[in-house]
Amino acid sequence: MKLFETDHYFNYPWDQVTAANWQKYPNPISSHVVSVDVLSRSIDVEKKTLRTERLIGCKQAIPSWLSFLVGGQEYSYVREVSEVDLVNKTLVMKTHNLTMNHLLLVNETVVYKPDPQLPTRTLFNQSAEFTAYASISRICDKIEDWSVERFGQNAKTGKMAFESVLQTLTEKWDESGIFVNDVSNTIMKEVNEVTEKTSDVLSEVKKLGIFRR
Amino acid sequence: MGNVMSVSFAPECTEAKNKYDDCFNKWYTEKFLQGKSLNNECTEFWDTYITCVDVALAKQKIKPMLDKAREDQPFTTEEIRNSAGTSEK
Repeated sequence: MKLFETDHYFNYPWDQVTAANWQKYPNPISSHVVSVDVLSRSIDVEKKTLRTERLIGCKQAIPSWLSFLVGGQEYSYVREVSEVDLVNKTLVMKTHNLTMNHLLLVNETVVYKPDPQLPTRTLFNQSAEFTAYASISRICDKIEDWSVERFGQNAKTGKMAFESVLQTLTEKWDESGIFVNDVSNTIMKEVNEVTEKTSDVLSEVKKLGIFRR
Repeated sequence: MGNVMSVSFAPECTEAKNKYDDCFNKWYTEKFLQGKSLNNECTEFWDTYITCVDVALAKQKIKPMLDKAREDQPFTTEEIRNSAGTSEK
């Protein structure tokens, strides 16, 4: 089993990131994703969570030394289960491949949460496990190595793709003003914090009597 | 992205899917995220879309691999909460 992990920050608030997540595809950078379907969706009213199961269709180029194993299939399918938790402000997505999983199983987990230091940006953590099942262990090693390498490349372009989607959607949202209230609330909160800090400093200064004549 | 919408794995379901997605995205950004609604308000579009999808899943023989995957890896709420770091004590 091989592991892959990466962290990234998106300079957008968490709620916008989760909204953009549903509209990520199609985008020109992730051209290997050809279809996205929702298979089931449910709301837990008490916990304020939204659970979604999706089927994602990909057209993935595979190395020529592997093509004999898969019999030249053009499309592969991936199943994704996600939960948006409004109370804890987390979005978790768990994904695995449906096609060829008797040869290679890829288990990916993605977590999005607000950066506790700076709530206007979102922390993205992506991790994946690769398990190859082919009977010849040498091939397994080779498949796992190739998968990790490939996954790393895809992870990079995936982040770039999502950045461009976020930018486009934010422009649209800015025009319609859907998220304006939120942004202004955040700004007001920051202004208040600064004001509070300023008055703290001012009262400290007063105590020191520097400006007293 | 923007007005470009993703397609269904089954071309015959794309139209129903786009109608449902439109309704969902609007509900998600304008209501769910704002804490205004915890009710699925797109059931009418959903019923048409999922009926189409279920037929296509069986026809294209994706259903058996899907069922097996669900059994092998249920991705329960508990597992998800563990990954999120929000699991209850």
